[in-house]
Amino acid sequence: MMFEQYKSSSYDEMFDENGVVREHWKPLAANLEELGCDQLEAKRQEIDWRLEDNGVTYNVYNDPNGMSRPWSLDPIPLILESSDWKNIEEGVRQRATLMNLLFKDIYGEQRILKEDIIPCEVIFPHSGFLREAHGLFDHLDYPMMMVAVDLARGPDGKMWVVSDRTQAPSGLGYAVENRLTMNSAMQVLYKNISIRRLHVFFDSFKTMLLGLGKNSSREPLNVLLSPGPHNETYFEHAYLSSFLGLTLVQGQDLLAKGGALWLKSLKGLRRIDAIVRRVDESYCDPLELRADSKLGVSGLVQVLRKKGVSMANPLGAGVLENLGLYPFLPILARYFLNEELILPQIATWWCGQDKERDYVLKNLSTLVIKTIDRNADEPSLYVGKNLSSEELEVLRQKIQEQPYRYVGQEEVQFATAPTFIQGEVVPRKVVIRSFAIKAETSYEVMPGALVRVGSSDDALAVSGQVGGSSKDLWISSQPDTALPSASTTQIMSQSMGQDSMQSMSQMSLQATAPMAMANVFKARGGLENSLENIPTLRAENLFWLGRYLMRSITSARMIRMTLKSLANSTRYNRNGDDQVQEILCSALTHLSMTYPGFLGIKDQKITDPLSEIWSVMSDSTRVGSLSQVIMMLSNASTSTKNLLPLEGWRIFDRLSREWSEFTHKRKPAHRDMIAGVDKLLVHLMAYKALIEETLFAEQGLVLYDIGARLERSSLLIAKARAMLTSVYEPFVEYEILETLLGTSESLNAYRAHYRSSIEFAHVSEFLLLDIHFPKSLISEINQLLKALPKLPKFKHEMYLSRYEQPLFEAFSLLRLERTENLCVVEKDVFIRDSMDALLSSIADKLIVSADELSKTYFSHYDE
Amino acid sequence: MLYQIYHSTQFTYQQWVSFSHNLVRLKPRNTQSQTLVDFSLSTDPAVTEMETYDDYFGNHLYHMLIRQPHHHLKVTARSCVAMDREAIDQHFALAQEARLSTYAQVLNALRANTSDVIDAKQFCLPSRFVAQASRDVHEYAQLSFSAEKSLYDSVEEFMGRIFNDFQFVSGFSDLSTPVDEVFRERKGVCQDFSHLAIAALRSLGLSARYMSGYLETLPTEGSEKFFGADASHAWFSVFIPGFGWFDFDPTNNIVPSHQHIVLGYGRDYGDCSPMQGVVQGSGVSHLNVMVDVSRDESEG
Repeated sequence: MMFEQYKSSSYDEMFDENGVVREHWKPLAANLEELGCDQLEAKRQEIDWRLEDNGVTYNVYNDPNGMSRPWSLDPIPLILESSDWKNIEEGVRQRATLMNLLFKDIYGEQRILKEDIIPCEVIFPHSGFLREAHGLFDHLDYPMMMVAVDLARGPDGKMWVVSDRTQAPSGLGYAVENRLTMNSAMQVLYKNISIRRLHVFFDSFKTMLLGLGKNSSREPLNVLLSPGPHNETYFEHAYLSSFLGLTLVQGQDLLAKGGALWLKSLKGLRRIDAIVRRVDESYCDPLELRADSKLGVSGLVQVLRKKGVSMANPLGAGVLENLGLYPFLPILARYFLNEELILPQIATWWCGQDKERDYVLKNLSTLVIKTIDRNADEPSLYVGKNLSSEELEVLRQKIQEQPYRYVGQEEVQFATAPTFIQGEVVPRKVVIRSFAIKAETSYEVMPGALVRVGSSDDALAVSGQVGGSSKDLWISSQPDTALPSASTTQIMSQSMGQDSMQSMSQMSLQATAPMAMANVFKARGGLENSLENIPTLRAENLFWLGRYLMRSITSARMIRMTLKSLANSTRYNRNGDDQVQEILCSALTHLSMTYPGFLGIKDQKITDPLSEIWSVMSDSTRVGSLSQVIMMLSNASTSTKNLLPLEGWRIFDRLSREWSEFTHKRKPAHRDMIAGVDKLLVHLMAYKALIEETLFAEQGLVLYDIGARLERSSLLIAKARAMLTSVYEPFVEYEILETLLGTSESLNAYRAHYRSSIEFAHVSEFLLLDIHFPKSLISEINQLLKALPKLPKFKHEMYLSRYEQPLFEAFSLLRLERTENLCVVEKDVFIRDSMDALLSSIADKLIVSADELSKTYFSHYDE
Repeated sequence: MLYQIYHSTQFTYQQWVSFSHNLVRLKPRNTQSQTLVDFSLSTDPAVTEMETYDDYFGNHLYHMLIRQPHHHLKVTARSCVAMDREAIDQHFALAQEARLSTYAQVLNALRANTSDVIDAKQFCLPSRFVAQASRDVHEYAQLSFSAEKSLYDSVEEFMGRIFNDFQFVSGFSDLSTPVDEVFRERKGVCQDFSHLAIAALRSLGLSARYMSGYLETLPTEGSEKFFGADASHAWFSVFIPGFGWFDFDPTNNIVPSHQHIVLGYGRDYGDCSPMQGVVQGSGVSHLNVMVDVSRDESEG
């Protein structure tokens, strides 16, 4: 039996105090019993698999390996009765309405301060109070576009407010993904249960967003401003932007001028109507807010001042996430709404008042102490009973010094819900994050929520950061019950089994296919289906994706060849091997630019080549090392993540995870080093093939292509200069030529073409001058010249552009060259000077071309 | 009495800058004792856009964008400010009345919730450049204050102690130097002394704000004054409920009157910095500031 051992020490959602299943849980309990623990475990694994497959992750801050953690969803949902929910819904709507009025007052007339409704020390010291936001949103009746409220059930069985999220609430995307996953993996649990569905809410959300930009005559351009791939909830930013039809951007994508905000795209600048903000407000503008922010747009506050763009949520909304406000909210509800608060809150004492401070100080060891805002310099939560007497004394001092910065809260035993952990159903604390959005002249509450599950039975803090899992929230709906029409929320009361016609089919909220995510991202193609509209930052990242991918492949090949050569010689000890190895090792240094490396002399001379190669492979702090290139590749990849198919992410995730594990070990044996590089190469080649096969031209394939060809050309030149320009003994020369062909993926093609043994003149001609061989230097440059006109803004004029000219010169130099001339060696000189001079001049031209290209397309120099 | 003020700021960049957003706080605000008569702002290269507005504290700001590639940026402000001797005298008379308020009375009056007190209270709290004062700073300041003593007199005495105990040394500190370090080393410049005084007064429960502006300097007898030898100046102001704000200049140990010209005020330097900007481009920049304050002789 599934629930035999189940026993909660506090109020439980499923069982009443007599251990009897509550009425609204009965159908779910029956479905669970029928399924049984073994099946449930299988389902749980399926859920994990689906979430991982869909790339649902939650990044962990301060993780040295930059790892993202897979999102975790419990197979057992939390189910609430419709009457219970109705009260919660009203309460959340009331709270959102109150927050909106509070925002307007704080950043407007400040009547609550002037009329002595609340002390100004609640507002002024809060880090979310931005003086710069004062008056910015006066023209709006509803500046607060969305409000999230965290709820937990108290011992009295009522839902209590635990905290408010107003500044840039997260969790909506995870809530949607949870529902989609439940729909596709847990159909069995829906039997005899009707629950409320989410799509009407998201329709309203989209309507609200479109409304933000409706004062323009153009097709509105709304963006989601994200801090970027390293943010803990980046998955959600990518997900929501696709889902809601927003363009996903970062600060660097944007530009403020002329009282408006612009998106930098490959074609040029496009005006933005509205921003859904997921960058913390103080980071939004390095000019007027935090000067050290790299996430914002300089001049954004001025654009807001000129009413040039809409913003959800508005700057300054963070002041409402203020625990010091709690004791005053009942008064404020009466003041603004003439209503009592519907949802109770945790008893809170703000220390800015003498009586309250004295109470808190007297009861320090039994209360929970929190700062009114979250501040990097100080923990934001202290649990009195867990503190030593010294720690209590330190805290007491702090409170006495700045009393207005602290509140004391009662420690409350919140309710538990059944959660499936390691094959067993156990009680876990749950917190419900509920969402309200602005809808016309009221707020609409999502008939669902993100439920976060504590990591242990008595965990006080329940958050994605700390660990733990999540649940879907089901709100039962009786199809027979007529619902109040006064509510702005419409309700779909069909059970899941009866789906036939769906207005939202393309958004697949009822999706049964495991490719839900892929559908969502494909919908995105429709929004930005032209190369011209690619954001500049993404274009630049595609360019670097091409460059770093080629660099990592070529470096890996070179390392592999060098390691193999070192291995062979220890086995056979042939004549001349020493020299071959020396040449290959130096070529590796040249190619990776890890100087001095094998070129070191005197006390910098390498005595242990394997250790040096291991360092070039694994030391991510060393410029030019393979690990560092993989890191850069990873950066370029994450920011283009939503362009690549799911398999692409998975290959890359695995690639970087395995490489990171491999290189974090001690130096492995010689043969294992080769095996490790081999494995990396297989992954890299798969990744490359996938990108080249699946990336659309409209998504910017040409930028990837230009980057890849520029890099391959430069690397080929580096290799050729290190391996072809010196004169060697015949045996050595043969080995070197063979290696060079091998690292350039050209050995088989060479053999097919020449049907003869490997000769110097042939190899040089084949790799550098043969315009019919696609991997030759001249072919790469020729292809580059053909790719450039595909770029937007390309001017088909009489004269060549600044980035085209150097390439054309390079092409001409190669086209006019003859093999005999390249191979010439002056008497008594062991260097092929003419070849070296040619290659060096072409290398310089490639650099100039890449620079000019960046200026025109990535820096918007002349716009 | 009229002052002509010239204030130029020049940035020199190592590399081309193609884009630069700037906030400029160089237009003096009107106060009880001064009126801005004339003002002009020019830049080289010319601005692409310029907008003006008032911030939360009522200071005048210019927001400007320069999009032309440049190596140097020079911003020149010329102000003509009229000092109202009568108003200054009235303020001194008011100060005599304010002297009657004791420290205890002021603390008590600060508990009120009248709108001027509410406005003043934001200057009681720590701010970006003025963190919560250390115990040492607090105890140092406390020596000048006692419950039944005149607050005004106490602040005046405290100002004198800073003047005597601290050495004016330029180049020792910069914006990132914390008040505690200035206090330990007993040296700094006008900005540091003002921040120190503000931190100390706030730790005593008082409302203190940062004043940014200029000071007329007179050449020593027999020597000629050079154009541009002046500098921008900073001092602090204390709120005495019922009477208003009273300025003190700890760098010179004087109560400002007609020789102190106010640019603006705020919680600390962060609210008043004359110029701040974000540029697109790399490399270090070099800054050169030139200030000249002179009496308009034609007016006498």
